[in-house]
Amino acid sequence: MNKRIKMTPLFLLLILSACDLRVLDPASETGRTIGSLIELSFLLMMIVLITVFILFAVFMQKYRAKDYTCIPPDRKENKWFEVTWTVLPILLLVVLAIPAVQATYSLTYKSEAEKGDLEEEGTHIEVTAEQYSFTFTYPNGKESTNDLVLPVDREVTFTLTSEDVVHSFWIPELAGKIDAIPGKETHLQVTPDEVGQYQGKCAEFCGSYHAEMRFTTRVVEEEEFERWREE
Amino acid sequence: MDVPFIGQVPTDVVMTWVLMIIVGPVFIIILTKMRKWPLIWEYMRTTHHRKIGTMYILASILFFFRGGMDALLMRTQLAVPENEFWLYQGDKYNELFTFHGTVMIFFVAMPLLIGLMNVAIPLQIGANDLAFPYMNAVSFWLFFAGAMVFNMSFFFNAAPNVGWTAYAPLSTEAHTTDINNNYYIFGLQVSGLGTILTAINMIVTIIRLRAPGMRLTRMPLFPWSTLVTSILILAAFPVLTIALTLLMFDRFYGTHFFTTEMGDPVYWQHLFWIFGHPEVYILILPAFGIFSDVISHFSKQRVYGYRSMVIALILIALLGFMVWAHHMFTVGLGAFANTFFAITTMMIAVPTGIKVFNWLFTIRHGSFRVTTPMLFALGFIPTFVMGGVTGVMLAVAAADYQYHDSYFVVAHFHYTMVGGTILGAFAGIYYWFPKMTGKILDDRLGKWHFWLFVIGFHLTFLPQHFAGLQGMPRRVFTYLPEDGVAVYNLISTVGAFLMGISMLFLLLNLYKTAKTKETASADAWYGEGRTLEWTVASPAPEHPFEKVPYVKSVDHYWFHKQGTLEMLTADNPRPSPVSVKTIQPFLLGGVLSAMSIAFIYHWLWLEIVFGLATLAFFLIRTVIDERESVYRKEGET
Repeated sequence: MNKRIKMTPLFLLLILSACDLRVLDPASETGRTIGSLIELSFLLMMIVLITVFILFAVFMQKYRAKDYTCIPPDRKENKWFEVTWTVLPILLLVVLAIPAVQATYSLTYKSEAEKGDLEEEGTHIEVTAEQYSFTFTYPNGKESTNDLVLPVDREVTFTLTSEDVVHSFWIPELAGKIDAIPGKETHLQVTPDEVGQYQGKCAEFCGSYHAEMRFTTRVVEEEEFERWREE
Repeated sequence: MDVPFIGQVPTDVVMTWVLMIIVGPVFIIILTKMRKWPLIWEYMRTTHHRKIGTMYILASILFFFRGGMDALLMRTQLAVPENEFWLYQGDKYNELFTFHGTVMIFFVAMPLLIGLMNVAIPLQIGANDLAFPYMNAVSFWLFFAGAMVFNMSFFFNAAPNVGWTAYAPLSTEAHTTDINNNYYIFGLQVSGLGTILTAINMIVTIIRLRAPGMRLTRMPLFPWSTLVTSILILAAFPVLTIALTLLMFDRFYGTHFFTTEMGDPVYWQHLFWIFGHPEVYILILPAFGIFSDVISHFSKQRVYGYRSMVIALILIALLGFMVWAHHMFTVGLGAFANTFFAITTMMIAVPTGIKVFNWLFTIRHGSFRVTTPMLFALGFIPTFVMGGVTGVMLAVAAADYQYHDSYFVVAHFHYTMVGGTILGAFAGIYYWFPKMTGKILDDRLGKWHFWLFVIGFHLTFLPQHFAGLQGMPRRVFTYLPEDGVAVYNLISTVGAFLMGISMLFLLLNLYKTAKTKETASADAWYGEGRTLEWTVASPAPEHPFEKVPYVKSVDHYWFHKQGTLEMLTADNPRPSPVSVKTIQPFLLGGVLSAMSIAFIYHWLWLEIVFGLATLAFFLIRTVIDERESVYRKEGET
């Protein structure tokens, strides 16, 4: 047990530092949906973890042999206990599964139909990944490499593909990842709602300099975006 | 570094060469002085399960140090932001994590567990050996040959560098033209074949060779988990074989299974994970079995909920085949597929949870003694549950869009694989060490090993959850100060070295135990054994069950000692497998390695020569039956 006591302050420090982790402090509705899902699953899982830890700690104290010659009587299982720890986790998982499924459906890009409208509004961006950079193409033909500029409060649709190997497009503060796969198109939608500059990274191992395949994302006011786009 | 006659070679490879030139001869001199060659010759020809098991475990401990060294080099490179440690940036770093992952999964975790199965399974079910002793030797030498082929890659400065998952199209010829990844294909192919043969052997042994009266429902849980695992291996490993073969054709002969022109890169991911996810259950289920036996033994109590333990094993195995695409949530399979695989993944938590509570309640019904194996089993419970709960968090598909391929995942699978499989393997090694060698490992050093390992482990991997949520992708050789992950990485590095130090205590322990004269009794752990392996001498003799026991209940031996059950011998036991001495399996391994090397370097004539030599072994095997002499002897009497 002394292991846990020694390490408690360290663990607490780590957990406290978690509050401003990028994934948990996002700047878009998508990011917040995922963030709150993570928090919900974390809380539900803490119930399980704490239950096990308490049982473990109590049993460690109580059932350690004091007299090595004593033989505990042979005992069989209690059916109702077993039913309890089968049914309760199922209930817990149902509580988690419902919002999880909802979020999965709402965050996974479905509709091809909207694409036409988006292109006119100028918020459809084609992303081409290649070893080791991302190129962004805007509807008006504007291209930029490793520098993504987005208007605030407007829904953006990314259509991704890759020139060579599998990459993954990740802006931790805005949304989850989506892979860029050669010969295929994948999609991601996000509405950034805070002006600022965010890190973007390739998250799928893609070769020698995968670690250096990064880009910056600038979320700016509408007018500034228009100005930048026409440059 | 510029080496004369060879050209540019990285300094770490040159250092290994120098080390080999020095250590190799010294090693040979020591072996000769100590007159160990007859012993080595004996082991090279053995088909006995205990000796083969011991070789499996020795080899995997060796590879554990190899893979661990890679881990320490990685952690050193990642200790501080923008570090430039030695030459481990770019591809050199990629070689490190590819080597680390592949070695730890295929040449450490798998053979550690298979080694323990070899040692314990026949003894636990009252069999005199595995069903096919010759094939067992073939399995071992194929594993060893595969591992050697893979390890040679570094020696020849051509270590694989596309990760243990070898995602296409990066792993195809177009993007990694050097021979490096050919080593990956052949190393795994040869050793994978050995694993499949072991699975067949275990299934037949457990189905056919149990002692009379030992129904499946009276079998200890380690054989149960071995049976379920072997079925998993038999279903999953052929998929890897096929995937590697297709990849080989893409790389060697210009086919396009995994490239974009005519094939599909995502196809590789499906094949790999249809193998790869059952693989992680292949790694964890035997560990579950070990923990069940160890906890029950040292708590002096039967396993709580035996029936639900078995059902849980089977459920986990079945569900394990329906979850592979949770490794591919970000590929864009669509909302329905992602939801399906998310739900099946979450469902696995239920049988796993049942097992955890059953272990806890086994302790509650008993009165436990803290020995080294028990300590590893106890350390496993909280550690593994932490890995389990992050597993459920990862199952939430939408949230996984964030976790995927970040350090959060790295933390998760180390919590399950190290916290489960490796702690289980250590528990098993300490527990069955008397059956392997006739001695008990030192308890005090064992406890040092445990505490340093577990504290080091949590220090290493707990912070990685946070690094992942802070946006650190896995498989990167550097990060920037503004990424805000420096503290986590530094703590991780310190923890990793602590784990490294703990392993020295295991070495010290092995050395010290080898020196002692004290021998273990048959019922080596305080005479409190419950299962049949504790009825035979330590170390287990060649033919342990001269009189085969008749089993009437779970933990029959324990109840016999309590005076409630008699220990009877069976009248008509099955005939025992015939063990032989043969060098063939060793040579087959050698020939297959040579053939692999020929393929790796595209030496056509050698491919043909060694290919024919391999086929010759099949022919020899078809015409020669080494059991003939035994049958003849039986016929005479």
